[in-house]
Amino acid sequence: MHINYWTELKRNKFGRIGLIMVSILVLVALAAPFLAPHNPWVYQGQPLTPPSEEYILGLNDIGQDILSELIYGTRTTLLVGVSVAVFSTLISLALALAAALGGRIVDRIILRLIDIMLILPVFLIAILVAIYFKPGVVTIIIMLTLLLWPPGARILRAQTLSLKERQHLTAASSFGAGKGYIVYRHLIPDLYPLLTVNLIQMVRRTVFMEAGLAFLGIFDPTQKSWGLMIHYASEFIFTGAWKWWLLPPGLLISYTIIGFALIGYALESSLDPRLRRNIHYVGH
Amino acid sequence: MLDINNLKVTFDTRMGEVNVLNQVSLKIAPGERVGIIGESGSGKTTLALSIMGLVQGQVQGSIKYRGEELLDKREEDWEKIRSKKISMVFQNTGEMLNPVYTLLDQVMEPYLKVNPGKKKEAFNRASNLLKKVGLREDHFYAYPFTLSGGEVQRGLIAMALINDPELLILDEPTSALDALTRAELIRLLDEIAQNKTILVISHDLSTVIKLTRRTAVLYAGSIMETGPTESLLREPKHPYSRALVRAYPTRTTVKDLQGIRGEFPSLVEPPSGCPFHPRCTQALEKCSQEKPCLVEAEEGALACHRGGIITLLRGENLVRRFPRQGKEGKEIYFNAVDGAGVTLKEGEILALVGESGSGKTTLAHILAGINQPTEGKVYFQDREIYSLKGREKKDLRRRLQILFQNPQEAVSHRMMVHDLVEEPLEIQGIGDKETRVQGVKEALGLVGLPGDSFFLHKYPHELSGGELQRVTIARALVMKPKVLIADEPSASLDASVQAKMLKLLMHLQNEQGFALFLITHDLALAGKVGDRVAVMFLGKIVEEGPTSEVFRFPLHPYTELLLDMAPSLEREVPSLRRTVKLKEEEGKGCPYYAHCPYSTELCSREEPPLKEKGFQRVACHRAAALEKKNNNNSYYKEIKKVL
Amino acid sequence: MKRRYLDYILALVVILSLNFFLPRLMPGDPLTAIYGDALLDMSPELQAQLAERYGLEGTLGEQFITYVTNLLRGDLGYSYYFGAPVTEVILEALPWTLLLVGSSLLISTFIGVLIGIESGWRHGGRLDSFLIVAVMFLNGIPSFFMGILLLLFLSFQLHLFPLSGAVTPFSGYTGMALVMDILRHLFLPCLALTLVQIPRNFLLMRNSMIGVIRTPYILTAQGKGLKERVIQYRHAARGALLPIITRLGMSIGLLFTGVLFIETVFAYPGTGYIFYLALGKHDFPMVQGTLFFITLFVLAANFLTDVISAKIDPRLREHAYQLLDRT
Repeated sequence: MHINYWTELKRNKFGRIGLIMVSILVLVALAAPFLAPHNPWVYQGQPLTPPSEEYILGLNDIGQDILSELIYGTRTTLLVGVSVAVFSTLISLALALAAALGGRIVDRIILRLIDIMLILPVFLIAILVAIYFKPGVVTIIIMLTLLLWPPGARILRAQTLSLKERQHLTAASSFGAGKGYIVYRHLIPDLYPLLTVNLIQMVRRTVFMEAGLAFLGIFDPTQKSWGLMIHYASEFIFTGAWKWWLLPPGLLISYTIIGFALIGYALESSLDPRLRRNIHYVGH
Repeated sequence: MLDINNLKVTFDTRMGEVNVLNQVSLKIAPGERVGIIGESGSGKTTLALSIMGLVQGQVQGSIKYRGEELLDKREEDWEKIRSKKISMVFQNTGEMLNPVYTLLDQVMEPYLKVNPGKKKEAFNRASNLLKKVGLREDHFYAYPFTLSGGEVQRGLIAMALINDPELLILDEPTSALDALTRAELIRLLDEIAQNKTILVISHDLSTVIKLTRRTAVLYAGSIMETGPTESLLREPKHPYSRALVRAYPTRTTVKDLQGIRGEFPSLVEPPSGCPFHPRCTQALEKCSQEKPCLVEAEEGALACHRGGIITLLRGENLVRRFPRQGKEGKEIYFNAVDGAGVTLKEGEILALVGESGSGKTTLAHILAGINQPTEGKVYFQDREIYSLKGREKKDLRRRLQILFQNPQEAVSHRMMVHDLVEEPLEIQGIGDKETRVQGVKEALGLVGLPGDSFFLHKYPHELSGGELQRVTIARALVMKPKVLIADEPSASLDASVQAKMLKLLMHLQNEQGFALFLITHDLALAGKVGDRVAVMFLGKIVEEGPTSEVFRFPLHPYTELLLDMAPSLEREVPSLRRTVKLKEEEGKGCPYYAHCPYSTELCSREEPPLKEKGFQRVACHRAAALEKKNNNNSYYKEIKKVL
Repeated sequence: MKRRYLDYILALVVILSLNFFLPRLMPGDPLTAIYGDALLDMSPELQAQLAERYGLEGTLGEQFITYVTNLLRGDLGYSYYFGAPVTEVILEALPWTLLLVGSSLLISTFIGVLIGIESGWRHGGRLDSFLIVAVMFLNGIPSFFMGILLLLFLSFQLHLFPLSGAVTPFSGYTGMALVMDILRHLFLPCLALTLVQIPRNFLLMRNSMIGVIRTPYILTAQGKGLKERVIQYRHAARGALLPIITRLGMSIGLLFTGVLFIETVFAYPGTGYIFYLALGKHDFPMVQGTLFFITLFVLAANFLTDVISAKIDPRLREHAYQLLDRT
């Protein structure tokens, strides 16, 4: 079916809210230098200073401005989330296409690979690898990309294989279309909806993973990351500092995940014919 | 007896020189019955008049009668030939008899000319003849304007016979007569022809087939094909002959009529090369440059650069094996298509009939080049299609198109009408953006859809089932294919839309001149559309032949069953002539054995091969028995007696 | 199923290889990579002894064989932080983790499935809409943050539950009192883990239900004049439950990941907590050993559910996959 995703999203209440939530995040990330009142890497004053007019959320244990840390943390979260989502989706797509076009043996190998990867507890392996690689932003992007592609690949492969059997592809090849044409003009466009959903879900999962790793302290300590903030703050959990130091990054993580989840849910329900009661077509 | 050689007849008119006959050669042996068929304007009558020495215009070439050159004869010589040796019954156009003399007087006149004064003899002979042609005495003295068309025609025949000529030329002897009179006249002429040589000129094929044994097809002054009348009319070799036959309605025609595409050519400025090439579906460049000679072929002669209607698509011994889950998860194989062979000729409609599961769709996909057969070969114009590579393969895709069963699935729902129809052109890299848009609009126009921007920008789900099917037809036709394979194109549509769709397909087939391979489970429908019909059962072709033959005389019990079960509006519930019995040994014998009411022990042992039987081919040991049964059918006996 | 065995063997090989190669391929002294900071406190003799124990002098192949033989003997190395063999420490902590994971698995599956049935049966309805929103929010909270929130509000602010540990130290509780003490300590971690798990089960069950109620056999059941509840539970839910079983293995994997965080937050003395402690102290043998152990556990759980779902009638299994694939 031809659906305009943008319209679908805007029509869907959840989708609308999710879009607004995510847009705000993106704006904050882009405008971080202008929004942040202080340089979050610079010592501002007495560590663990409670909130004041100057430091709205106080200072952390090494005297950095917590609000500015939060604002810069948005950048890390989105950068990691979006990069991993894009790269892992690309891997998934490449494998799915290879499985569909490469013949039975290639497909079997790819399916096997996906199945094995799906059995493995991804997060535990991420921790294991991360311990040795002391990850910065780039390493964590590479690592999570390599670990997170399998679920997407499974769905995309199944979909690509079923698309391949569709008659309009047979029709195209009966007009003399080659594999390249079929991939670019039919398979990939037909996969767009699924790719979009996968991308959104991947951002959500990555944010989860990144926050978890940082919470365990497995992240470059010079980076500004919400998970890392919680990691440090949790050592001071029984002082009053948790109210302005621990809660805000936690809530922001939830905010981000929920924002993307809302978009994902809206997209999925517009894709699932069972859940789509009022189909809004465009093209008139 | 009569030997016409390179006869050329031209007329000078205000518009210029008109070429009515062009290098016409025809031999007629004593006692032979020859027919000449063709559209009006093809020069039939001029040919007859030339033989009679009555033609107005420049005549070149030669017409020899018993070795004598007729064209050298002077008027006084002719008087000794006409009526006495060669006589002609002119086409009755209304005033062939002089209104001021009685019929008898006019019939006697030629006799008296030859035998002056022998009035008594003349009277006896004339009244005998008039009685013989079925006129009563009160007609003898009637003035022509009081007679009916049939009575005048009889009179004309009597007049032509009065001097007992050797050669009788009948020009449209049955035109403008009602069916009963015509039947009577044909019987009369048939009787007369017993001891005469006759040349019948007619556009009425049913008259020609009954009166003649050999026929020549005349088109725009040229003979296109000659051959035994029956096989020429049942299986014409020349595209024009087939077009002529296709346009002619008979009682046994089941198929809808199709006219001949294009217009009859101007005789003032005749087309260069083969006169038929502008209307021909298989014309090559050569056809427009060089006139083909009449070349002797088996049983006749043919004037066609391409050697007659060519075979476009041919599948031989096709087998397609599929794995299937067997007992205990074992993989077993079954043959969806099991040794089927199909030939599709240029510009024809072949209907493939069979119940669901008989392998029709698989066969269609094999022939369309999208499902490689496990065994067997598919040839498109003598090139094996699955071994084609690169450019040639791409070219094949252009000329061979398939319409899928369900239009909903055959289109991408992401694409708009314009993109859908344009897609084949884009893939093939034909034309630039602008010419492609033009092509899309033309293709849509062909199938009766608007080409405006509003429609071009519609999505498939915004179209009705019929519209969408038309779009897929337009998409298939946009590359002007030579072959269109249509897999139950109307199965998903309701009856009223289905009728329109098939009419459209037939119309397009005729106008665009592609060959249509139509797959359907509905025999009634196949009969309406197909020139030929093939019946498929369990992956095999069990019977094949011209639609009219197969419908009248089904030779395979399965065809008979399908015919009985074909939709009808009769209230009676048809009795299913179908048995269920077990074969002694699975995998041997006739595949239809289990259901066959006529089967014998031989059928359970040996698989019948596909054998020629008249114009049909049938794979049945018991075909002879079925044929006999058909012949005994009282209904057909009745019909035969009337004719 | 044979193919599945192969998958597991290959997965195991992947994990073994990661565990083996990662420390050895790091630049610098492999012993440092294996032992981390603990090495600094060791005498050269001890270091040499350790190097020998790991066969670090030999080729990579020989090292691998040593590595695998050690594993087969249950030898995961020695933890300097805990002052005991890694296996011993893990086995001591394991019961707590199993208690936590087990209880939470039961509860979260039960609740998730139950509300999933209700939600899916009347999807688009008021309850469904509410649950979807609620679950969406719940799903947005990472497990560690969930733990922290519960800890801060219920224990720290309201003093309803103990702040940390699995039992009250030195209390000398026995019998019923001990059980109550354990349950009191278990409650919050279990709640946190359960809350984190519910969304997944809920969404799975809801989608599965939506798939089922579109099937004709529900129409047949309605045609029989059955009560709605009967149709909902006896006919629809039963079919819809199959996919949950086939996906149980994955749930267990996620649970073990979640428990790592929850135990850390609540200082609950299970494997996750000792992992966190060891991580903080750079006690690499302990870290690696724990991860390896949990990974094995998850693999085993996955394998078990695979075996179970293979026992389900293949036609039913096919049906289950179809239900999920439609989502």
